[in-house]
Amino acid sequence: MRPTLQLLKSGRSAWKGPYFVAFPNLRDALTNHVPIKTQARSCTILPNFVGIRFMVHNGKDYMPVNVTQDMVGHKLGEFAHTKKRFTYKATKK
Amino acid sequence: MHILGVNLPDSHLARFALTNFYGIGHKTAHRLCARLQVHDKCKVKDLSPFQVTALASFLSSPATSPTLPRYPLATPDYVPPSPNTPAQELQARFAAIRAKRVENRARRGTDPIVYKDTLKDIKVESELRREIRENIAHQRMIGSYVGRRHAMHLPVRGQNTQSNAKTARKLNQMDRY
Repeated sequence: MRPTLQLLKSGRSAWKGPYFVAFPNLRDALTNHVPIKTQARSCTILPNFVGIRFMVHNGKDYMPVNVTQDMVGHKLGEFAHTKKRFTYKATKK
Repeated sequence: MHILGVNLPDSHLARFALTNFYGIGHKTAHRLCARLQVHDKCKVKDLSPFQVTALASFLSSPATSPTLPRYPLATPDYVPPSPNTPAQELQARFAAIRAKRVENRARRGTDPIVYKDTLKDIKVESELRREIRENIAHQRMIGSYVGRRHAMHLPVRGQNTQSNAKTARKLNQMDRY
């Protein structure tokens, strides 16, 4: 979906504006391509985050997320999966 | 009757038969009927050829078709012309009414407020299916949670998976439509 649609559908009232975290090393990350380690999964991806590499916490490790223009209205945590894929292994009894 | 590949049963009321189109529900169907001056109790077999062609041409692409005109409601003492009047006479009558309306507007000289016609925003059939497919593909492409769940044929909106995920297992696919 277009980023504006995602921002509108977010569940947060429009008059409050999107929830985001002001990262102190944002400019450094843009110029030197240093990944930003963060536990703020609920941070909305803003247009000025595009091109930055984040390491988003998923409860255990930090997963790399390369932000592109299409990801703008979504949250960081959507791209760091928290559960392992379910596989069924028949138990031998 | 077949309109744009969809069969509308002749005995059904036109207002509810229009819901057979993918992307038209009860509200849009009623609005379309009002715009085309189709009576609430009019059946599909009683639709005039003008109405059928107007409906078909509008639904073929609502966004790019010319706006369907909004006519004022008839006064209580209005007597509609009999079905046997020739088309020329109907068109002449309509042209006379339209000329009078244009003259009144010119005399008043005010700029009327132009309301956006929301009927043009509707998407039907193949366009709507294409949009849904693109949305799912977009979610998968960016690698989000929603895209992953569609790819795994599992529920997307946080429903239980320990039991009861039958519809999701059947319908949640990447090529859903």
